[in-house]
Amino acid sequence: MADQHPPQTPVQAQRAQEAAGRYTRAGLWLQVILLVLLALEPWLVSSFRVMDVAAKVMIFAVLVASYDLLLGYTGIFSLAHAMFFGLGAYSLALIIHHAGAPLWYHLPLAALLATGLAVLVSLVVAFFSLRLKALFFVVMTLALAQFADILSIQWHSLTRGEDGVSFKLPGLLDVGWSGGKLWGLTVNGRLLTYYIVLAAAALLFVGLVRFVRSPAGRVLKSIRDNEQRATALGYKTFNYQILANVFGAVVASLCGVLYALWVRFVGPESVMSTAIMLNILLMLIIGGMGTLYGSIVGAAFILVAESWLADGLRAVKVFLPDLMVLQRLADRWILYFGVLFVLVVIFFPKGLVGSAREIAARRRARVRE
Amino acid sequence: MNSTAQSAAASTQSAADLKRWAGWVVGVGIWLLPLLWINLTTYLVLTVAGVTMGMLLFLTASGFTIILGLMDVINLAHGAFFAWGAYTGFTVLGALNKLGWVETGTLGQSLVSVLICLLLALAVGWVLGVLLEWLVIRRTYGSHLKQILITMGAALVMAEVIAILWGPNDEVVLTPAAFTGSLDLWDVVIEKFRLLAILVGGAVFLAMHYVLQRTKLGIIVRGGVENREMVQALGHNIRRIFTYVFAAGAALAAMGGTMWSIYTREIRPDMGESNLIFALIVVVIGGMGSVTGCFLASLMVGLAFNYVAYSVPTLALGVNIMIMAVILLLRPSGLMGRS
Amino acid sequence: MPEFILSLHQVHTFLGQHHILQGVSLQVPEGQALVLLGRNGAGKSTTLRTVMGLTPARSGHIVFNGGDISRARPFEIARAGIGFVPEDQAVLYTLTVEENFRLAMLEEDQASHDRQEAVFALFPDLKKFWKSKAGVLSGGQKQMLAIGRTMVNDHRLLLIDEPSKGLAPILVDQLAESLNQIKSRTTIVLVEQNFRMASRVGGDYYILDDGVVAHQGRMEELARDHQLKQKYLGIA
Repeated sequence: MADQHPPQTPVQAQRAQEAAGRYTRAGLWLQVILLVLLALEPWLVSSFRVMDVAAKVMIFAVLVASYDLLLGYTGIFSLAHAMFFGLGAYSLALIIHHAGAPLWYHLPLAALLATGLAVLVSLVVAFFSLRLKALFFVVMTLALAQFADILSIQWHSLTRGEDGVSFKLPGLLDVGWSGGKLWGLTVNGRLLTYYIVLAAAALLFVGLVRFVRSPAGRVLKSIRDNEQRATALGYKTFNYQILANVFGAVVASLCGVLYALWVRFVGPESVMSTAIMLNILLMLIIGGMGTLYGSIVGAAFILVAESWLADGLRAVKVFLPDLMVLQRLADRWILYFGVLFVLVVIFFPKGLVGSAREIAARRRARVRE
Repeated sequence: MNSTAQSAAASTQSAADLKRWAGWVVGVGIWLLPLLWINLTTYLVLTVAGVTMGMLLFLTASGFTIILGLMDVINLAHGAFFAWGAYTGFTVLGALNKLGWVETGTLGQSLVSVLICLLLALAVGWVLGVLLEWLVIRRTYGSHLKQILITMGAALVMAEVIAILWGPNDEVVLTPAAFTGSLDLWDVVIEKFRLLAILVGGAVFLAMHYVLQRTKLGIIVRGGVENREMVQALGHNIRRIFTYVFAAGAALAAMGGTMWSIYTREIRPDMGESNLIFALIVVVIGGMGSVTGCFLASLMVGLAFNYVAYSVPTLALGVNIMIMAVILLLRPSGLMGRS
Repeated sequence: MPEFILSLHQVHTFLGQHHILQGVSLQVPEGQALVLLGRNGAGKSTTLRTVMGLTPARSGHIVFNGGDISRARPFEIARAGIGFVPEDQAVLYTLTVEENFRLAMLEEDQASHDRQEAVFALFPDLKKFWKSKAGVLSGGQKQMLAIGRTMVNDHRLLLIDEPSKGLAPILVDQLAESLNQIKSRTTIVLVEQNFRMASRVGGDYYILDDGVVAHQGRMEELARDHQLKQKYLGIA
């Protein structure tokens, strides 16, 4: 009998521990509370601005998490992630724009197109990520992203250039539609879109978490830590890296679709530019690389700060209207993000969630002693 | 027996020669391809424009490649030095114009104003380079990931500071009077400033070549690219040399920025970004750490950009990405890089 | 009490997590070749690299020529008068022989050029290949270059790491001859696995084992002590 139950391997033991702790960990309760809060948000705060920030935080959290899958979990340093986001956003916008009138089937079609494009382009990118030294790959992806940005600006007949494309959504999702009141809140296209974004973002995020915890995710981590060892253990590191590239790209491009769905406007500056890539990096670093949940913290931090910091600085301008340089100092709030970014990388390289986990682990170790 | 072996050796030798020759013929001949769809006069004009762009790219890319080769530092803030140089030149020309030296004035005054621009740009680049190396780069030795992140942040901050000091909008740069207009050589129209840019770029290349090949500093730098530790153990303070090289690279980029701004006549706070992309492509094609490779790659990128931009402007960057991809697939370390 | 040019007191060195030198103490008397012996991984090369400041000591003291150099940086140590010939020579392949010499010459004065001529007398091949890239030299010539270039400076101490590695026996004998000539002017610390070479050149010896000094004495005695050789060096 004893022969049929061989001793657990360390990995099995860790998995068993994770499975046992699944419904008791503090993290789970935090997630449930977060989800409930986001679901009730329209009733809790009746401000479009708060709802707007909440929706964008959800989209960017998933986008950043998908980037974390590449950089934090697989060690692939690509600077073309914003490009996939842009591909997704443009998919929806251009289908509706060029079709003339928005129809229901445009939404799944856009999701399909976004996925297809992302798979195609990411396969090419993945091919290079395997052939090139890390540094050359960074350069290649940076150049590719820049090229996509230039295309979106200069291919005027397709993208309307720098003006961007604003469009309407079909039927119930149209801003004009209103379906009466529910518990004191007007049910309209905005609200429905918010819930679509919420559901899709939650789904994608869970998908990323499952992916990272899956056997494939473990292999990716082992490739990041020591590629030769993973190869020596018999894993085809090749295939796993392609998988990570493609999966990350597809999620990013679906995030782009969600973003377009929410803001109903797509332009090079708002979905393709290096600024978006910088934002992704900023959110990831502040939240913490290789944690996945750090992306939620990072996205919330940056987007909330962006929304209200700009206000605060505008107030500064009102009080000090005479000095030109001071005025611009108040205008260029991105400057402060840049400084923050550099400081975080130097002094706080694990980010908020990474550092919090480290402190928690240290405390647990001390308790055990 | 012996003679067969010899002739076999000779034939592999001649095969290798043939291959090298074929490489040269293809490498040079490919630049004549645009003649298929561009007439000769236009082709020559574009070639001059391409060489000009190549020379100016070289100013930025050469610093980047040496910093990468010697210090193993990826500096994505390199383009920001370029932008700072451009704004320095813009300010200097604006000030000198009040003296009547720029838009009007003699050849001498034009020359002196460009010279002042270049010297001040070098100084600004040097100071910023030393500052950045001390404050930021030192903390990132050995970690490419940190370097890329930190220098991206630094590039953003440096561009933002430009926007604060000079304003966020495009500005028009004045061209010194003696360098406006163009020469007409058998219907080939060549802007005068392009000739100056080619002269300056060529001079910098030669000077750099001299310093690297003939001086002790050059030997230390080349030795350091190969084996940093040994150069230290032979009694050289490599850290101080890092600072100098970093600052020199920054100064060259700033000088390139000044030349570029006078050449294109417009500047923007984020102009460093697109220049950086081209410089990166040049560095990758040329092979990191190789100045000669960098020079050849600069010319390649400049020429390819101009030939393609003339026909399909949208694809000009795309073609360079393709060249980079092809070269990397053929030679993963670049044209002159060591594997 | 003999004069010590270099002495290490309880030196501890770490490479990452690994505790390589676990309290090494040794004294190098002036005017001879001291040999460091021991198995692979015993810490011989790390000892030289620690003296040179390339893998700095975490604790302990290193005194050279009366001054404490334990916290000094490699270039300061080199300029204080220690020449270093690392394992695998580390000649700079992309530089010519001449450039390797220029790189090594710290003071470009007449005395240095005179010493350079003396190096040519010792290693005539270097003069022959003066303008060639160091990468095309043979293994023995690279070794000559690595040793010769440090000798253009007025160093008081040379640290040489396994010069015989990969050389044909006849070259090893020649090299031992050269080192015997050098040690009359410059003290040498020699890491050597080749016992024949070590016994031809060495005066005092130290045996390192697992990062500590296990034994020390005169080379002539060690050559006769088969038990000791068997125990630490695995040779009879």
